Amino acid sequence: MRLLAGIIETDGKEQLLIIEDGIVRLFSVENEEQREEFAYYNLLKDRQLHLRNESVSGPGVFRFRYGPVTAGVREAGCFHLYTFGEKILHAGIDLSWKHRRMEDAFENKTSQQAVGLAESICSNFALSHSVAFTRAIENALDIKVDMGVQNWRNILLEVERIYNHLYVISKLASAAAQKVLASHLSSLFEEALRLNEILTGSRYLMGINHVGRLHHIPSLENMQHAITSYSLISKRFERLFVHSVNNANYMDRLHASGTLTADQAISMGLSGPSLRACGVKDDLNTTIGHLIQLPVITQNEGDALARMEVRAEELMNSCEYIINHLKISDAWNFNPDEDIEPFNQSGEGCGIANSPSGAIAYYVAINDGMITYARVFTPSYVGMNAAAFSLDEHIFTDFPFIFDSFGVHFSDAAR
Amino acid sequence: MLKWWPLFGIRRHLTEKKEYKSPISIQSLYGKLFQRSLFVYILDVGSSNALNFEISALESPQYNIHRFGIYLTDSPRHADVLFVLGRPTEPMLAPMNETLNQLPEPYYVITIDDSFDDLTMSPYPEIKHHVAQLKGVPSPSEILGLLLELSKTKRIVS
Repeated sequence: MRLLAGIIETDGKEQLLIIEDGIVRLFSVENEEQREEFAYYNLLKDRQLHLRNESVSGPGVFRFRYGPVTAGVREAGCFHLYTFGEKILHAGIDLSWKHRRMEDAFENKTSQQAVGLAESICSNFALSHSVAFTRAIENALDIKVDMGVQNWRNILLEVERIYNHLYVISKLASAAAQKVLASHLSSLFEEALRLNEILTGSRYLMGINHVGRLHHIPSLENMQHAITSYSLISKRFERLFVHSVNNANYMDRLHASGTLTADQAISMGLSGPSLRACGVKDDLNTTIGHLIQLPVITQNEGDALARMEVRAEELMNSCEYIINHLKISDAWNFNPDEDIEPFNQSGEGCGIANSPSGAIAYYVAINDGMITYARVFTPSYVGMNAAAFSLDEHIFTDFPFIFDSFGVHFSDAAR
Repeated sequence: MLKWWPLFGIRRHLTEKKEYKSPISIQSLYGKLFQRSLFVYILDVGSSNALNFEISALESPQYNIHRFGIYLTDSPRHADVLFVLGRPTEPMLAPMNETLNQLPEPYYVITIDDSFDDLTMSPYPEIKHHVAQLKGVPSPSEILGLLLELSKTKRIVS
């Protein structure tokens, strides 16, 4: 499938950033039909910070503002919910509270300086942002990346997926008052973060990825530790997951909450687990060649339960993927910090990464080694729009299941 | 037949017994006033989300913060400590000041700045009882150590 990841406007020229067969390319817009192919074109073009900003009126209808200071929404963001009581008639989201003008901050930085900036857009997707950014730079400056670096990036992306999926599923369990399940998942989440630190030196996988290289690769001892630990995490999670799906109370809370059809998901520009939960296979797993192919997990219902199940299966697959890779890691051990070959100092390019919640895309323009223009397109932006759409016609009790099941974050969406 | 959840979970002891150390020393304004209970309100004003994740990790059974009498509260009006996550974006300055106004005396305020060095974001305004200002992303162990230091509790290890 073709996914419009973003729209770039430079010097009055408009280009579409399109992902097809796992490869991202820029297309100049030559006719209106190219725009009409994507129903969410205007959403990506305008990049409004107020999503679904329409009002609803009627007898007894009022606007309930939820955020930016509330325990229910811990990030600095705000929902505008139109209701006459229990049912949500229309939901809008205001991202402006967390807008940090991150894209402007890229300008006049060298690519090496800006890696940390990309990581800090949304720290729980730090590696995905870093990989998408460095791929864009490597594409712009024609840098050849060692196969070992590419493989390690793929492994670390799965490492990031595991702890993010654990976080989302733990939040869903907690919202459904499944306290024992939530506590066990929360403990696995903390285990996964500790493992990140052992492998990379950072609980959020920061500082390991650089342009054309890695800062370091884990020692063989730490890799052995990771093989054992991921095996245990996978087994413990599988037991919990199997037990939880036999729990009618839990299933009942997630089933038929925030349902999207495949057509709706595609027309909103979703990618990642939220799209795959609607039965649509995307190409993100083939972004950059994998040594071992990752299966594409799908479900058909398109509701919060389907999104949770996709994440659960992906989590177990990611553990297996990492274990299998680390077992053969001796075969592609290399010096991660060796100097990269001389490259261009100017150019433009784009890069993507398969984050835990969908495609992250970067476009960068560089002149004499300094970034002159950068655009970041995140899965949380389109995901927020879809989450708000899914809230319509549901009751307030469903709010946490629906919102959390999309795995979206204000810091990622607002940039 | 489905096993009852508490029975499923009860056999595994996840809480750790270790000493948690504060990354900084904190000036105690109220002595041992909070040694039996400490209620913490979390306010995100522009963090990169790692701090929100660390607070979630702090709620995991490994740390079991309730054994120390530490609780996260849903309202600033019930809080003894306000944790401000990130450096404030411009729109968040007013809600932050309003939250500070809602805190009942006596209280402590701790800010954690995890923003990227060069970002042009608002500095922290003058804050009353601002006892600690951290930079970076402290781990849950460090955050717990900080809270234990603040509460002056005797229960360092449960």
